[in-house]
Amino acid sequence: MAEVVVQGPHPAPARASVWVELFRKEDWWAIWIGLALILAAAGLFTGGASLKWLAVAPQKWGHPAELTAQLSQNGVRYAALFLLWAVAFGSGAAALGINLFKFLSAFLPLFVAAVAIYFLGSWDQSSHYNLEPPLVALALGLLVSNTSGVPQWLQPGLRVEFYIKTGIVLLGASLPLTLLAWAGPVAILQAAIVSLVTFGAIYFSAVRLGLDRRLAATLGTGGAVCGVSGAIAIGGAVGAKKQDVSIAISLVVVWAIVMIFALPLISRELGLSTGVAGAWIGTSEFADAAGLAAAQTYGGYAGTVAGISGHGDAAVAAFTLMKVVGRDVWIGVWAFVLSLIATARWDRTGISNQAGAGEIWRRFPKFVLGFLAASVILTLMSRGYSYVEYRKDVVPGLVAPLQALRTWAFTFAFLSIGLTTRLRDLATVGARPFYAFTIGVLVNVLLGFFLSTQVFGEFWTQFGR
Amino acid sequence: MTGEAAACRSCRHFEAQAAALEAALPGLSSLSSAYASVRAGDGLCALHERYVAASSVCAQHLIGG
Repeated sequence: MAEVVVQGPHPAPARASVWVELFRKEDWWAIWIGLALILAAAGLFTGGASLKWLAVAPQKWGHPAELTAQLSQNGVRYAALFLLWAVAFGSGAAALGINLFKFLSAFLPLFVAAVAIYFLGSWDQSSHYNLEPPLVALALGLLVSNTSGVPQWLQPGLRVEFYIKTGIVLLGASLPLTLLAWAGPVAILQAAIVSLVTFGAIYFSAVRLGLDRRLAATLGTGGAVCGVSGAIAIGGAVGAKKQDVSIAISLVVVWAIVMIFALPLISRELGLSTGVAGAWIGTSEFADAAGLAAAQTYGGYAGTVAGISGHGDAAVAAFTLMKVVGRDVWIGVWAFVLSLIATARWDRTGISNQAGAGEIWRRFPKFVLGFLAASVILTLMSRGYSYVEYRKDVVPGLVAPLQALRTWAFTFAFLSIGLTTRLRDLATVGARPFYAFTIGVLVNVLLGFFLSTQVFGEFWTQFGR
Repeated sequence: MTGEAAACRSCRHFEAQAAALEAALPGLSSLSSAYASVRAGDGLCALHERYVAASSVCAQHLIGG
């Protein structure tokens, strides 16, 4: 292809208005939905009421009769919960351009399946049979998707990222700002070390194996920063071949799913505390949704599996700090820097990226702002309460209902991961990209384990308590 | 070809519709999303067969995207 060098000033291309973006991007809708629920919960709590009627969740049961009793007793509440989610996610989906009727037609069976999985996870023997809801949701989805296949009409409801981002915003309402300020810097430091080393391992392995530098960078950020999101952000920033972006997506998806099962299993065998395991998963998983599935699974072991210490929610909290705050938020910086390097140093492609520093904000994962805002709201709502009062009043009246809603959002996401992952549809990757990425996986997992258990082990153990 | 250097976002070869991108890149919607902020306005260039930023430019820009 002939090289094209574009000279001189270009007319400023029209961009979507900032205001339009607030209603046309999934990240912003996750913020609106999450914060609306948190503010509603806070308003009710202030008025002496609670959102807990609506935030219904299965209770532990041991006999089928208890299960049917729960369902008949709370049937109206589950119907109301469905309506809540249908209105919230349906509004967002419609704004994103997804046909509302098609979305709701798909969301109803997804909700019913999530109820069934949530109830299965509440069985008092579920831990004994490894029936943790995230793993069951994922395994069931993968089984259906890769055998009988998922009907086309179900596809509009399978919005993994929409559900997971909404859940992360809701998660912010469980973590006071003081906790974020205390653990955030450690998470950022640990994540920075692992991200830089992992990117270097993948990038230089790929280049040594003779791969194109744009593919090497796309693979590197997919493994080091934020999985598929990292791969598409950098693929676009450096102008990677379409096929190379597909290769990076395939490798991330396959390895991320392997890690969903492997990391909790290894952590359980080693008896890691929930805080340490969450930090390791946050360092070594590749995607938010996949990592949250692994972290929530491990959190479920606390109190049910002998030898695993720490609070159940600590695994998800440590994961989120490490992955979302420590790694995801830097994707715009990675994209900006790599686009400059690609333009200045790498082989020309005939296309020139004109992006400036504004790229850092444009690619910023905005839902993180909702997570932080939720933490601010919780902190303000908790002012004036002693620790004992906080545990006695604020947790059951305000925090617990939001935790239940978050678990629902995550369960929709975990089901959607499996149902949207058709292994035969993924791109054929070839040996060299596979070797380069796998070297990065090994470096990432081993270094993440060392940092989480040795260098910062005591910190994350304390965090888990 | 127009000869006019303009951004990809206005080019006929450029496809940035979220649904079309998710269909063209299998696995994208499994662990990410074409509706996400991180994608910014990136899309596929059918001419170069590359995934490019909407603000990119090339000499083959074709008005009418």
